[in-house]
Amino acid sequence: MNRQAVTSSNIASIGYDADSQTLEIEFLNGGVYQYFDVPQYVHEELMNASSHGQYLAQNIKGVYRYSKV
Amino acid sequence: MAFKSTYLGTIQDVSGTSLSVALDNTAPSGLTYVDGEGYRIGQIGSFVKIPIGYIDLFGIVTQVGASAVPENQVLAQPYGYRWIKVQLIGEGQRNGSFQRGISQYPTISDEVHLVSESDLKKIYGQPDKPYFVKVGHIAGAESIPALIDINKLVTRHSAIVGTTGSGKSTTVASILNAISDPVKYPSARVIVFDLHGEYGHALKDRANIFKVNADKTAGSIEKDLFIPFWALSFEELCSVSFGAFSNDKDENYVLEQISLAKKESLKKYAKEGVSEDTLNVDSPIAFSLNKLWYELYLENFGKFYPDRPDRPLAFELDDAGLEMKGDFSAGIPPVFKPINTNKDNGERVQHPTSNLNIGQQLHSLGAKLRIPRFDFLFKPGDWTPAEDGKTAKDLDSLIQEWIGSDKPITIMDLSGVPNSILNTIIGVLLRIIYDGLFWARNLSQGGRNRPLLLLMEEAHNYLNNEGSALPVVQKIVKEGRKYGIGAMIVSQRPSEVNSTILSQCGTFFALRLANAIDRGHITSAVTDNLEGLTSMLPILRTGEAIILGEAVKLPMRTLIDAPPKDRRPDSQDPIIYDEQEDDDSMHPGGWGIKMEDNPNYKEFLETWRAQSPFVKRIIK
Repeated sequence: MNRQAVTSSNIASIGYDADSQTLEIEFLNGGVYQYFDVPQYVHEELMNASSHGQYLAQNIKGVYRYSKV
Repeated sequence: MAFKSTYLGTIQDVSGTSLSVALDNTAPSGLTYVDGEGYRIGQIGSFVKIPIGYIDLFGIVTQVGASAVPENQVLAQPYGYRWIKVQLIGEGQRNGSFQRGISQYPTISDEVHLVSESDLKKIYGQPDKPYFVKVGHIAGAESIPALIDINKLVTRHSAIVGTTGSGKSTTVASILNAISDPVKYPSARVIVFDLHGEYGHALKDRANIFKVNADKTAGSIEKDLFIPFWALSFEELCSVSFGAFSNDKDENYVLEQISLAKKESLKKYAKEGVSEDTLNVDSPIAFSLNKLWYELYLENFGKFYPDRPDRPLAFELDDAGLEMKGDFSAGIPPVFKPINTNKDNGERVQHPTSNLNIGQQLHSLGAKLRIPRFDFLFKPGDWTPAEDGKTAKDLDSLIQEWIGSDKPITIMDLSGVPNSILNTIIGVLLRIIYDGLFWARNLSQGGRNRPLLLLMEEAHNYLNNEGSALPVVQKIVKEGRKYGIGAMIVSQRPSEVNSTILSQCGTFFALRLANAIDRGHITSAVTDNLEGLTSMLPILRTGEAIILGEAVKLPMRTLIDAPPKDRRPDSQDPIIYDEQEDDDSMHPGGWGIKMEDNPNYKEFLETWRAQSPFVKRIIK
């Protein structure tokens, strides 16, 4: 999956696959995780959020299931 | 004098390689400065230098203070003198070359000096030599790289020991990273026995990964690990297939049948290097184990009609009226009619006349022939023999995949091997590799010309005092040096690793090790007479190792460089509660984060069934 680099205190890059509704997050420590069944609008809001880390913590972590890849 | 600032004191007592040094009253205490660098005096584990004539002797500080006062001086000087004890370790020429061992002893009143960073550089530093690899830097001297001589590291074997969480996996990854450098060592050859599937991810661009039931979806780089049963010796084959026999007669009978089957196969498909005369039961010649099993089954269980001509076997009939002969290629046994000794109840059916007693062994093998978990042994892909012993591929292509591929590292991911036979399987893999490299030692791909490093993770699991891996590894550590096979043993419980194996390891990477028994084993196994150093083991920091032995010139207290982030093994501690604020946390889980509303335990189970930590759902 192609990820787009972002400026954040904890996230290095973000990718999204619309067909399978999979959101991929690479943290600055090198860990890459895929969140499953994430609607497209969540990805768009995450990308547009003033703080990606804050949006992730409030709207994605603890809401969608994920797997380390 | 120019180096007066390094002066510590004078030697008062020499006994063996141990010196007692009285610190001079005028010598600085605490901190001193040499060439602008600060040094703490009398740190345990630090080095001292004793110039005598044209050479410098080097020693290591093992004890400091009142208890280092020689016994006969205790009463005379209870508090007045400051003493240190020093162990001699080697000598250096004035031009900087350093060697282990000493050619002459110091004597009373010789001066003892602090070793400055520039001295240390002379001792440790030869970074331009290509046979040294850097694994970190000397603790307390950032500018000095910790260099390891790979000639000694590989051929003289090594051990990496440390409590769980002390940085073993990082050390292993760092060493693997350094020695698999494609520019420096284009022909490096390493096999990693990875019991938990930790390293595949970290080394994926430099390694081929072999795994039982490999993930073969697109994007995965795992390959199937096959160990054809016919490459096993008779003893190994029995332990993974039949199990133990109850008497020698049965065992010899089976041995004879296997020899015959191999002979028949060889007759039909001649192989270079072995003839019918030189063939023995251990020769790696393909034969059909299914057929052998079926024939033995008929012989052991085959009831028959005594009243018919030729006494045919009495197969039971199925609903369609067909004989239930079973299917040897699928491992399905035949079914026989019940015994009938009375003619009035129909045709007589008698017990087999054979006096074989291997029923239990045949049932055990039959089950294994049917269970997919054992397919890597009994149905090994292109190496599965047909009824007459024909295989699509011979062992050469298998061994080439393992040790002759384009990538320097081969990872044997053994996480899918049934636990009951794990020990035997490791033994078998090691034996096949050892035998291959041993006999091919004169060839360009043999062990002497392209040596192999075998890295054994979690060695205490299979190198304790039993199991079939032990004798092979003992042979490797004793004789592997001559044939280019080096072992690197990794364990968190060195006291549970067989002591012969530990004592043959020339180099030790000792990380933090708190348990006294474990430490005792290391202390007694290291060749250096340096108990002072091993007493530091409980207080090492994470990722800090004392490297002792042949691959290093001097024992080094080293901070191991962690490999790049994407090359780290999958063994970090899980996070219970992240110390970072939620918004900055780089961990998606832990006890502090609410869990998702609809947890998916179907995927949870999928990973277990598939024996792979990655669900199919992941987008590659």
